[in-house]
Amino acid sequence: MGKKLSMKGWLFISPALILLAVFLVYPIIYSFYLSFTSTKGIISSFVGFKNYIRLVKDPMFLLALKNTGIILLIQVPIMLISALILANILNDRKLAGRGIFRTAIFLPSVTSLIAYTILFKMLFSFDGIINRLLLSTGIVDHPLEWLTTPKLAVFVLILAMLWRWTGYNTVFYLSAMQNISYEIYEAAEIDGASKTQTFLRITLPLLKPMILFTTIMSTIGTLQLFDEPMNLSQGGVTAATMGPGNCFLTLSVYIYNLCFKYVPNFGYAATVSYVIVFIIAGLTVLQFWAGQSNEEKDAKKRLEKEGKA
Amino acid sequence: MKRNIRVSRVFLYLFLIIVSFICVFPFYWMIVGSTNTPIQIIAGKMTFGSHFVENFHTLFNNYDMLRILMNSLKISGISVILILLIGGMAGYGFQMYKSNLKEKLYGFFLLTMMVPFATLMIPLFKIITKLNLLDTHFAVIIVSAVSAFMIFFFRQSFINYPTEILEAARVDGAGEFRIFFNIFVPSMKSTFAAAAIYSFITSWNSYLWPLIVLQSNEKKTTTLLISMMSSSYTPEYGVIMLAIVVATLPTIIIFFAFQKQFVQGMLGSVKQ
Amino acid sequence: MKKSIVCLLVIALFVTIFGAAGAEDSDGKITVWAWDPSFNIAIMKEAAARYEAINPDIKIDIVEMAKADVEQKLNTVLAAKTTEGLPEIVLIEDYNAQKYLQYYPGSFADLTTKFNYNDFAAYKVGVMTLDGKVYGVPFDSGVVGFFYRSDILAEAGFKAEDLKNITWDQFIEIGKTVKEKTGKYMLGFQNTDGGIMRIMMQSAGKWYFDEEGKPALIGNQALVEAFELYKKIVDSGIAKPTNNWNEWVGTINTGESASVTSGVWIVGSIKAAKDQSGLWDVAPVPRLSTVDSKNASNLGGSSWYILDKSADKDAAIDFMQKIYAGDKDFYQTILINNGAVGTYLPAATGEAYSTPDEFFGGRAIYEDLSAWMKEIPPVDYGIYTYEADAAIMAQMEAVCAGTMTIDDAIKAAEAQLENQIQ
Repeated sequence: MGKKLSMKGWLFISPALILLAVFLVYPIIYSFYLSFTSTKGIISSFVGFKNYIRLVKDPMFLLALKNTGIILLIQVPIMLISALILANILNDRKLAGRGIFRTAIFLPSVTSLIAYTILFKMLFSFDGIINRLLLSTGIVDHPLEWLTTPKLAVFVLILAMLWRWTGYNTVFYLSAMQNISYEIYEAAEIDGASKTQTFLRITLPLLKPMILFTTIMSTIGTLQLFDEPMNLSQGGVTAATMGPGNCFLTLSVYIYNLCFKYVPNFGYAATVSYVIVFIIAGLTVLQFWAGQSNEEKDAKKRLEKEGKA
Repeated sequence: MKRNIRVSRVFLYLFLIIVSFICVFPFYWMIVGSTNTPIQIIAGKMTFGSHFVENFHTLFNNYDMLRILMNSLKISGISVILILLIGGMAGYGFQMYKSNLKEKLYGFFLLTMMVPFATLMIPLFKIITKLNLLDTHFAVIIVSAVSAFMIFFFRQSFINYPTEILEAARVDGAGEFRIFFNIFVPSMKSTFAAAAIYSFITSWNSYLWPLIVLQSNEKKTTTLLISMMSSSYTPEYGVIMLAIVVATLPTIIIFFAFQKQFVQGMLGSVKQ
Repeated sequence: MKKSIVCLLVIALFVTIFGAAGAEDSDGKITVWAWDPSFNIAIMKEAAARYEAINPDIKIDIVEMAKADVEQKLNTVLAAKTTEGLPEIVLIEDYNAQKYLQYYPGSFADLTTKFNYNDFAAYKVGVMTLDGKVYGVPFDSGVVGFFYRSDILAEAGFKAEDLKNITWDQFIEIGKTVKEKTGKYMLGFQNTDGGIMRIMMQSAGKWYFDEEGKPALIGNQALVEAFELYKKIVDSGIAKPTNNWNEWVGTINTGESASVTSGVWIVGSIKAAKDQSGLWDVAPVPRLSTVDSKNASNLGGSSWYILDKSADKDAAIDFMQKIYAGDKDFYQTILINNGAVGTYLPAATGEAYSTPDEFFGGRAIYEDLSAWMKEIPPVDYGIYTYEADAAIMAQMEAVCAGTMTIDDAIKAAEAQLENQIQ
């Protein structure tokens, strides 16, 4: 690459560079500074690492961390595995009407977070459609308190997120699968491999980069989860907890509360948000490390083998 | 053996139909809801009612829905154009003119994706006020135009582009920007289409940032309207449902119109 | 190469075009931020129409948002220390007032000399006073009524007399009879909602803090009884569980619950179900039985504040003086149209107050409510009401489920509150 050419590259990058510097990098640095201050409204003081120490003893923060962790550990794996299975089914060229199914499954992804949360809140209200359905089919004998019992409320939140995001991830997998040459599958079929075997031995390894990508993106998304719990738990003017037993108190919701609901402490809020950054960074490194170790080589080997067959 | 396959096939279709039903049902329900009164909706009425016209009037007369819709269209439309232009160029720049420094910068940008938006809110708001952009649609647009994810998406899609074509064009004496706009972009249509749909949906549905920077009634977007309506003390469910339908319609139309390019474009982005 | 420059220029142009079209200080425009279209917004629109009739040069722009959104935007604008984008007038809930006044010093206009505060209910003025200066214009009262469906309660065998000046324990017993005889719930209830708790506390003249603003949860008998009552209400099955405001209002409008105990501002929502006209009545709020407590309390209520650095501050003050502290007819109108009980005393009597209300079976409810308003024990809300609410309600789930004793819950809540406000 010539030096002159490289310089021209900067011209392509510079608009993005300028915008990112002003609207992303500066705010990031500024809020990092904020995380070492304690503010009450506009009264602010530098406190060093005090905010970080306070975190460890803050029951609300620990609860938010726990809630977010639970949602992350349950929702992300279920969603990604379901998306993988759906994508695998839809990738079958012999499947009739797969265009329709694909559209139906992707459709939830176009709704706004607020809109679908409101819909789910209404569906799962005490005398909502879900309870009516369960009562009329005799599955339950009294209406369930979906959104007022902590465990059920988390269940509804996870269900709603699955509805909204599974199709979204399915499209990513489906796209990646369509890059896998069809001949490989045909060869496998001739060799007498079962569907499950083909999926586990061929599709999965080849999809590894995509799985890694979606895992990281979903992890980031879930750790920043805000709109859904916020809107599901909105209790009008006098709500005191974020959902029953504070089960909707995620880290981002806690940040929001620290900034806007309580006496605004933007410094401490920034500290909490940097905890999210550190967690995401840690998990990303972990996921990269787990994703790259042995599998990559294995997949390559297998690909060569299959190619020869 | 054959019979087994056929039985499993039936179950497969049954499974797909159930999944599709679950995915589509809330859409059906909100469309039905938009034709009913609040009482009917609370009572769980699942069939079309006769209140559509009334709800429609309330939405468009009392809430100025048309203007709000136009606001959202304007913001999302311009955002998409800027994202395609700025993000596309940046992705191209990072991929086609690699250098050490650029790689480092790129890595740094990817890291910024990890920072939650809540962290940036206060400093961003200060910048916007300094630039005298408060209460303008441009304040919403410019912030959504800065997307590290889109740059990542573009670069990822460009990896497999045969650079020989670019070299050949250079030999023919074409300028770098001409190569980009006249040769490169047309051949990556589906990537740009996918990016357009993706960023349109994101921008159309954004909530927190528009809420903070948009001040006056005339500037409101659809998501802000829905949030406001649903937190009213005497919620008009029928009108809210209709608002959700109207607000979701553009994203559905865009998606259906460009579905093919979208899938192709996504395909391009994941080629390794 | 030239093209690249052109390209950059286009982008720069974009920025400047949109930038130029940005927010300019438009003189003669008073911007108001408030929430609730059927109440605050509707009332402000009435006030605006009246003022614009006197002073046609001024335009009043009322921006309607969700309550949480008003608070969020106000915090963001004030924290950024900009003068751009400030509204002239903003509605702030009384519980939150001190928080804004103390932590955003200099942000709100000192109105001490602009209004005669003897004309307003004293407990409202106290909320907006800091270091001897008064910063707001008192607006609506949150005087609490025990609103009930006289037809349902009659069916269960209760007359109006049986419901007057009762205790919460009696309330629960009545609720059980109602549930048994009519199948209806006594109330819609959200056990994570601190509303009823605050009603109970204030009826005993107690709050979550002592005089110095320090948390005072442990040893607070009113709080202990309130905890017990929450658990009793849940256990007795007289409450229909609701998840949010809309569902809660829904239980009244659909006729599923026989009563609602809330601030007077709920009347607008009650009246939304036009088919229930004539079926409602009101009694004083139940009191606590283990502490000295009155059959009068308050829930919510808010006031108007003027931003000190806003562009048309003086016009805004003039507006508030002429309408909210001068127009008696205005208060009559908003009482009739919106059920708003103002706290401007010169307007607290008059025809509108003594007119029988057909919806409430011909009772002049506002006469009763204004009488109860004078009985409300004043309390100092301090600055951490919502923090305290959150700390207490975080333990409520466990208490109601029976997995935690009330003593332990209060200790845990106090520990959390101490941490939260450090």
